Amino acid sequence: MLELTEITKSFRTGPAETVVLRDLSLRLEAGELCSIMGGSGSGKSTLMNIIGLLDRPSSGSYRIAGEDVLAAPPDKQSALRNRLIGFVFQSFFLLPRLNAWRNAALPLMYRGTPEAEARRRACAMLERVGLADRMEHMPAQLSGGQKQRVAIARALVGQPKVLLADEPTGALDPKVAQEIMDLFLEVNREFGVLALIITHDPDIAAQCPRQLRLGGGRIAEDIRRA
Amino acid sequence: MIKQALLEAIGNLLAARQRSALALIGIMVGAGAVIAMLTVGAIAREQTARQFRAMGTDILLLRADSDTGLGQLPLAETEALVGQVPGLASIAPFMLSGGPVSAEGQARSTTFLAATETLAAVARVRVAEGRFLSRHDRFEPFAVIGPQLAENLSTPYSRIRTGSSIRVGRYVFTVIGVLEPSLPSPMMPADLNDVLIVSIPNGRRIMSQASLAWAVARSTPEADPEAVGRAVAASLQPLMREQRLSVQSARALLAGLASQMRLFTLLLGAVGAIALVLGGVGVMNIMLVSVQERRREIGVRLAIGATRWNIQSLFLTEAAVLSFIGGAFGILLGVAGAWGFAQFSGWPFVLSMSAIPLGAGVSIATGLFFGFYPAVIASRLDPIVALRTE
Ligand SMILES: Nc1ncnc2c1ncn2[C@@H]1O[C@H](COP(=O)(O)OP(=O)(O)O)[C@@H](O)[C@H]1O
Ligand SMILES: [Mg+2]
Repeated sequence: MLELTEITKSFRTGPAETVVLRDLSLRLEAGELCSIMGGSGSGKSTLMNIIGLLDRPSSGSYRIAGEDVLAAPPDKQSALRNRLIGFVFQSFFLLPRLNAWRNAALPLMYRGTPEAEARRRACAMLERVGLADRMEHMPAQLSGGQKQRVAIARALVGQPKVLLADEPTGALDPKVAQEIMDLFLEVNREFGVLALIITHDPDIAAQCPRQLRLGGGRIAEDIRRA
Repeated sequence: MIKQALLEAIGNLLAARQRSALALIGIMVGAGAVIAMLTVGAIAREQTARQFRAMGTDILLLRADSDTGLGQLPLAETEALVGQVPGLASIAPFMLSGGPVSAEGQARSTTFLAATETLAAVARVRVAEGRFLSRHDRFEPFAVIGPQLAENLSTPYSRIRTGSSIRVGRYVFTVIGVLEPSLPSPMMPADLNDVLIVSIPNGRRIMSQASLAWAVARSTPEADPEAVGRAVAASLQPLMREQRLSVQSARALLAGLASQMRLFTLLLGAVGAIALVLGGVGVMNIMLVSVQERRREIGVRLAIGATRWNIQSLFLTEAAVLSFIGGAFGILLGVAGAWGFAQFSGWPFVLSMSAIPLGAGVSIATGLFFGFYPAVIASRLDPIVALRTE
């Protein structure tokens, strides 16, 4: 499904050049649930940005379902992001001035889905993540766990093939974190979406069938639970 | 999508209320200035057009000047020109002066105009009550007065009307007619609303400097007024030795006024445009701050599939909403300003049909023009950098 080959990513800061990812190769199959651990600054977010088409590697190739996506023009990449990929961030990144269902419906709006249809699907997804009674709430009126549920609904509303989560439980207390992790496990099973979860929490990582560890700019460890 | 875009734009503008209000005021003042300027221009144009319609474009004004002051037209020869000069329909020489008049203890200063009975027809003055001067009562102490003068001399106890007496120096005149109110004419050196009209022999008595320096004339409908004016001047000049005779035609005056008016409107428009540009710069400034503040939002939108164009239109919609509302208020402001001007000047208020669409179009164009740069800046943001900003 996702195929990264010999990806190198370096940043130029002033005169020095920092190599964050070095000849990293990785294959992820459709429907997998996979955690990524690694020290702070090891390049987890950088890798996720590349997978999510938000950033380009310095060299290497990246194919989604066999298609070379690095060659696509920017607007094609926007469209691919919109159709194939859903993002969940540590600090939720909901738009503060849109209510829950409008936040969740945003990817559909950018697809040109009519508002009524977008609303219906966003509400269905909010119901699925357990927010049936919070449709009209503004982000400021929601708890951290609820905000993350809206963000997950937003990531899933467009029926993406890939769900990318960058420390989705990092800002939540352990009990809520586990609830969110349960939700990831459920939606992975239910929608067959490939979920990639960056985390610092070994307990969270341990619940994923496949566990990656980033180190030295590469995949240092790749464990599949039997 | 459009509805959502509008809702979001309005929501965002409301969230940054103070900033939005500032930008709004900028656009509003700019658009208001443009509209007010154009409407005032239209009012002034309409006023002149009315004046010229009232007096006709076939009117000519003659004036004689000598080295020491006003000149003297030969009365008989001037009147005899009708019939001699082809295309000349009528001519009325007159004297002009001014001074105090009184009636029943009310004293006012007014314009004295001494003319023959032909003046009424040539200058198109109409009598509201009584009658105009006639050929037969040249030596009678009769006067015709303007309606404004009649009112000025009236008291609550005695109204000045036909039959009233008016004193001018040692002489007492009987009012035989009061004129209808008329628009001040740019071709008449006196305002016929506030005037005392007497015969030429009487004028020589009451005027300290009795110069028959003026004449109004009309050309026949098929004649070219300016050619007639030149012919009149050519016929009179030999009789007048050193004096200079100037002839002004309504048509020439009209052309001069028209170009003056164009310049005036252009100038007013320029003032409005400058105000509008200042408003536009305000919009740009505010939008740039807004882009800076909303970097993360832009990053999120890009991450969930917004295209560069989506981001651009997000900010352009805000600029458009801002300038649309600003423009709407500006139109109200501008029209109100122009209306105030009309009240103040006493000229009739006319709304130039082009002013409102022009003002609205110009303000929206300004908003979009100045909103474009911030919108492009926003759409060029790198999503990663935008998402990393806390
Ligand atoms: N846009 C950038 N410019 C310069 N350096 C960057 C940039 N993004 C990331 N880095 C550097 O790359 C390294 C990896 O960052 P990141 O992928 O965010 O690590 P993490 O594993 O903690 O998510 C860090 O040293 C960071 O400073
Ligand atoms: Mg990170």
